[in-house]
Amino acid sequence: MSYLLHILILANIYSVAAVSLNLIAGFGGMLSVAHAAFYGIGAYVIAILALNFGFPFSLTMICAVGLAAIVGMLVGVPGLRTHGDYFAIATFGLQVIIHSVMTNWVGLTGGLLGLPGIPRPTVLGVTIDSHVRFLFLTLIAAVAVFAFSYRLVRSPFGRMLRAVREDEILARALGKNVVKCKLVVFACGAGLAAIGGALYAYHITFIDPSSFTVQQSIFMLAIVIIGGTGNLWGSVLGAAVLIGIPEILRFLGIPSAIKANIQQILYGALLVAFMMFRPQGMIGEPVLMPLKKDGSATRVQESAQEL
Amino acid sequence: MTSQLIANGLISGSHYALLGLGFAVIYASCRILHFAHGSVVTAAAYIAYLFFIVLHVPLPLAIVVSILVAAGMGSAVELGIYRPLRRRGAGGLVMLIASMGVFIVIQNAISLAFGDGTKSLRGGQVAEGVLFLGARITPVQIVAMATGAVLFIAVSLILSKTKFGKAIRAVAADPELAVARGIDTDRVILVAFALGSALAAVAAVLMAADLDMTPAMGMSALLMAVVSAIIGGAGSIPGAALGGLLLGMAQSAGAWYIHTEWQNAMAFGILLVFLLVRPQGLFGKPVRAVEL
Repeated sequence: MSYLLHILILANIYSVAAVSLNLIAGFGGMLSVAHAAFYGIGAYVIAILALNFGFPFSLTMICAVGLAAIVGMLVGVPGLRTHGDYFAIATFGLQVIIHSVMTNWVGLTGGLLGLPGIPRPTVLGVTIDSHVRFLFLTLIAAVAVFAFSYRLVRSPFGRMLRAVREDEILARALGKNVVKCKLVVFACGAGLAAIGGALYAYHITFIDPSSFTVQQSIFMLAIVIIGGTGNLWGSVLGAAVLIGIPEILRFLGIPSAIKANIQQILYGALLVAFMMFRPQGMIGEPVLMPLKKDGSATRVQESAQEL
Repeated sequence: MTSQLIANGLISGSHYALLGLGFAVIYASCRILHFAHGSVVTAAAYIAYLFFIVLHVPLPLAIVVSILVAAGMGSAVELGIYRPLRRRGAGGLVMLIASMGVFIVIQNAISLAFGDGTKSLRGGQVAEGVLFLGARITPVQIVAMATGAVLFIAVSLILSKTKFGKAIRAVAADPELAVARGIDTDRVILVAFALGSALAAVAAVLMAADLDMTPAMGMSALLMAVVSAIIGGAGSIPGAALGGLLLGMAQSAGAWYIHTEWQNAMAFGILLVFLLVRPQGLFGKPVRAVEL
């Protein structure tokens, strides 16, 4: 039972990560491979503050979100100068650099040994010390992050974001502030990812750099892409499916020694298959405002293909 | 000490140059960020290990097999995945994501087959270095530098003298115009994948002989290939080799001041500076921001 709760908690945490990445990659059209780094910043900030200074839950969360949002904006800067492939490479670089700080700044992060013994959080006077309570906490966080993101993409800002994705020069010509738009979405995406990372650290009570690698970033991207870019429900569904797959493997009786590899191979194969046969993901982006009666149906599919 | 640093820079530089060269040949032909290139590197190293150490095949033959398998893998990815995607009009990022998928599959398949531990091509011996102008260099490292230089010249000659070279440069410069002039772009791209992957295999064997191998080596090989290609100037194939050499020298010089654990971070620091300040690289044509 506690194992099932653990899986549900992980699904909630990953849906936070995927929804926040969808803002950047799906709605913003900027394929970022640095999301695990923001997620990791959240985890490290709460671990360091809670372990060394005994900061309470609310304060660590604010610091985690704040720092990740600032770093997110810094990552957004190359996003202003580069597009497409080059942007992906730039985020790849930042991911490697941030991971290398986690590994090598031993005095702050504990290096490869990581930071053990993260204390259980107390939220509004309730100590979150059981799996059931943790499930509620992560569920509330996941719903809050989803609601915030949903509001964001439905707002005029969300429309501007999609406009920048579809045609940056046109958006600029219409007087939209493209720079601000990209930096804001990066700050939001990174800040929300930090919530996921912070919850992960509180849940596992131990963190080390191996949870925040490039592979982890690609896994988050896989959730967003397989779920459906530009559709927040897709990210939730994607998280549930991709977190659920390993459990099916366990059910099939695959030995745990090779389970991790089989699981990764499955994710990789799914990514390739979706790109070949359904690039818009399980749930594609909804058509918000059909432009013309004849051409509207294909527009979304086209943009998914262009991604 | 200085000559040792220069030697170290030249050695890792020649590894990076070969990685960058292979990556750039592929990138120039089809503009795909071939992420799976990293896993071809890993696969080539392990094939050499399988034949040389496990099956006791003579080393030269094992290397030839490794190169052929790598070329076959690269071509298979192009034929099985990129070409069908191109037919459907998929954009660069769709290709990139599919490529990441291929990368994950191959790397984990290798880790399943051979385990995660370090494997060595040396059969337990530790090579003794020879003293050369005050720097200690092992025979494997001398072979690496010589091979790097020879292959760089060979690839440059292929590009400038042969029909394939002209075709790939035409496709790199303007794919549509190349088609209009009757160049079979599909064939050019396929040959580029075979050639680029073969170069990756050579780099893989040289690196594995010098530094041993783990299934994770492909990721860092990919990083260095990408950084070399971008420093050199994407689209400029010889530039990628020079970029790799520069990257090796810069890392070696940096080892004076910065601990070696930071080498990956440093390579990417250099990359970010280039992306922000000179995105066309050292030898590339200036590009407009819109095209990046």
